[in-house]
Amino acid sequence: MNDNREFIEEFLVESSENLDQLDRDLIALEERPDDPQRLASIFRTVHTIKGNSGFFGFSKLGALTHSGEHLLGRLRDGKIRLNDRVTGTLYSMVDAVRSIIQAIEETGVEGEQDFRELSQTLAAVALEDVGEQTATPEATVIPVVPPPAVIPVVPPPAETPVIPSPAVPAAVVPTPVTGVAAVAAVPAASSPPAVPPGKPAVQASDSSIRVDVGLLASILDLVGELVLARNELRSIESTDPALEGVIHRINTVTNSLQEAAVKTRMQPIEHVFNKFPRTVRDVAVACGREVQLVIDGADTELDRTLIESIRDPLTHLVRNAVDHGIEPPAVREAAGKPRTGRLLLRAFHESGQVTIEVQDDGAGIPVEAVRAKAVARGLIDAAAAAVLPDERVLQFIFEPGFSTAAQVTSVSGRGVGMDVVKTNIEGIGGTVDLSSRPGRGTTVRVRVPLTLAIIPALVVRCATERFALPQAAVGELVSLRADGGPRIEGLAGADVIRVRGRLVPVVFLDEFLGLRPTTAARENGTVVLVRVDDHEFGIVVDGTQTGGPAGDPSTSRAAHAVTSMEAASLSTIVVKPIGSLLAQMGIYSGATVLGDGGVVLILDLRGILRAKDLPPQPRRGDEAVATAICVTDSYLVCRTISGRRIAVPVDTVVRLEKFDGQELQAVGGKRLVRRGDLFTPVVDADMLLGTQASQEDAGSISLVVLDGRCGGIGIAVRQILDVAVADSILQPSIAAPGVAGTFAIGGIATELLDLAALVPTAGSHS
Amino acid sequence: MIPSTMPVQPHGTRYCCFVVGSDCFAVASIGVAEVLRDGKITRVPHAPEAVIGLIHLRGRIVPVIDMRRRLGLPAAAASIGGTHLVLSLLDEWYSLLVDEMLEVIEVADHDIEQPSRAAPESAHDAVTGVYADAGRLVHFLDPQRIVHSLARQREPFLNRQGASHGGI
Repeated sequence: MNDNREFIEEFLVESSENLDQLDRDLIALEERPDDPQRLASIFRTVHTIKGNSGFFGFSKLGALTHSGEHLLGRLRDGKIRLNDRVTGTLYSMVDAVRSIIQAIEETGVEGEQDFRELSQTLAAVALEDVGEQTATPEATVIPVVPPPAVIPVVPPPAETPVIPSPAVPAAVVPTPVTGVAAVAAVPAASSPPAVPPGKPAVQASDSSIRVDVGLLASILDLVGELVLARNELRSIESTDPALEGVIHRINTVTNSLQEAAVKTRMQPIEHVFNKFPRTVRDVAVACGREVQLVIDGADTELDRTLIESIRDPLTHLVRNAVDHGIEPPAVREAAGKPRTGRLLLRAFHESGQVTIEVQDDGAGIPVEAVRAKAVARGLIDAAAAAVLPDERVLQFIFEPGFSTAAQVTSVSGRGVGMDVVKTNIEGIGGTVDLSSRPGRGTTVRVRVPLTLAIIPALVVRCATERFALPQAAVGELVSLRADGGPRIEGLAGADVIRVRGRLVPVVFLDEFLGLRPTTAARENGTVVLVRVDDHEFGIVVDGTQTGGPAGDPSTSRAAHAVTSMEAASLSTIVVKPIGSLLAQMGIYSGATVLGDGGVVLILDLRGILRAKDLPPQPRRGDEAVATAICVTDSYLVCRTISGRRIAVPVDTVVRLEKFDGQELQAVGGKRLVRRGDLFTPVVDADMLLGTQASQEDAGSISLVVLDGRCGGIGIAVRQILDVAVADSILQPSIAAPGVAGTFAIGGIATELLDLAALVPTAGSHS
Repeated sequence: MIPSTMPVQPHGTRYCCFVVGSDCFAVASIGVAEVLRDGKITRVPHAPEAVIGLIHLRGRIVPVIDMRRRLGLPAAAASIGGTHLVLSLLDEWYSLLVDEMLEVIEVADHDIEQPSRAAPESAHDAVTGVYADAGRLVHFLDPQRIVHSLARQREPFLNRQGASHGGI
């Protein structure tokens, strides 16, 4: 048996790929039961597994696949017709085969499970005359083994049990678009005749080979080495043009080689998406939903280690979308929607990250219910909640335990375990956000880095050492100043820094790591504010690494002293393991080699948090409240054309423009200003505030362009005055239109523009 | 892997000999990945005392174990530069910083005797045997045990942190 091990391993790998293919094929077959090519592919796959299991002496697997093959043969020969019972039994067989394969993988033997009953079912189904099966509703049960249970299939529309439902409009029929795999998971399989044959399931075996992952890793290591040698070579001063030429060529080749080597770590996200047609089908059947799954961008690539990390969170989101997002067919029809829900799974590259969207056209999340729930749970007070923008309210879904409670009280939201999804995604340096429109559906957007092996990092200096911090965790840098600027305060024996009214605990890195007996950075260091899970804390360092390769530390320190808040350079670093001996210390997550050849440790922020036992800071609730009472961090202060002083939260502003009043174009009652191909709808700030409409045509006007949440409109003002932090708490306004309240900025009373009220206005303008 | 699991060759097993302080040690040559004259060492704060830092070697980050510290000997004189004996242990690399590399010897298993009291006391837990060779004693080391013994030393770090920063 040992001699066979290599072959068995190959067989196992091949089989699990084949099983995924089977899932896909079966779903496609359900959709179009008369596709002989698909059926042939399924038959072939099962036959291959059967053949191999015979070769290796896996008798259970052999017996099971033999029964399956028999059933498929009858199906292929047209002796029986595909119906729910047949597909259900075939799915059970795939599951059973998968569990045997898994058992072999783990224990080397087939395991104790008994699949004889399933084999008998397969044999029985193969012999059935199925002519009447489909017409009788009580026959539409799928035996699932294991566990021996029956799952009721969604009752098909009474008048059309198997034939495509006429209620499904043409719009939801999967349209053949290049690069888009459309799969219908409608339990009562429909076969839209207009659909051309799908892509034949040809494996790309000719153009790819299997390579040991360890070998790839060592190639990457060697390339890294080459890059460093190249860097040294480049630093050699030479006047010899021949040498220059060679160095230049080596430089170019090395860059290309590095790019190519990094690509070998990449895998298409298909490896995760592949499982979803089956997941969607199963959940849809179990919950009585009709769902069409559309997958787009399955060829988007990301690091293979990340593929594994996103599998569970994505599965969760997909299940959620089917279970909680998409309504039962009857409800959808009552709402005037097609009875088949549409679930779009989309992946694409965007600014150095991979974005994955899970979008359903279901009921959406009832914002008001979430708002009420948040208040009831004490996450926010009622007054604050009332003015909190909807999209912020939705963020409460990610609060631990929020969704579970919500489900009990039938806030029909999404959400069991959304906090877990968020935690997992953030754990790999990603983000999750969610938008929802009542009655129209919900979109969850997951952004993950392309790779964990190469990350942007902030390199800091402390004493004589340098350390790297993952940029994903870094919030901001604060320079300490002895002369009245930001400083470290002692509070009940703990060091804290005051950041816009918040007290944030700090850790002196030199003290923590024992680099110096007492900290030297208390007065003039730099505080790197980091966020880890629900904690925010500051790490006090001497300074951040200046751009370029680390030269002489003394000069870089001198430079630092001149511009204490220098632009911190973010290096892209290759994360390397430091060995179990040091990794288990828990305060370093790895190390990297910088451009100058120096080795730099990467700080494990969670580890520092644990070691220092810093108190958690409930962040999201906090933040939400802060936003609600309108002390978001900073405001853009403007003067309107009529002379009122108003403020707009900076984080809603995408850009500022200046234009001449003459440039305004009136189109269909709206006013627009054009910049290239871009038209921005313009609203006069005075009009929003209910003051006399001013003569904006006169002279130059500044435009504050807001982001999509506020309708992407531009607010016309006379002058941009300042960006500043509020000095006082917002006094809510009383019956002043367009004003959320008044507070002091720079000592002067300033009105805060009510953006929540603006959104509908913006809608009518766009 | 480790010496004990190596097949016995007709002429015995090959060992790399090296000097730390006044004693001669040896590790199985099969586990030796590289011997380096010097390398720029990056400190690892709070690491076990004998781990004096990291070096970069062909794309890998390699922890350096100072054998003098490990054996409780005083630091080497500046004239002894030290040599990195880089070992591959279960796919992780470690460097033993030794005073001086000696020759490679070939020893049959039956010639290796039980560890003697002659080995430095601090090395007892890592010495697997001893061999008398041309008037000197060669102590055979199991590198795995050296690493393991260091791994056990990590607790003081957390205690120290707890003691000095308990208030936070």
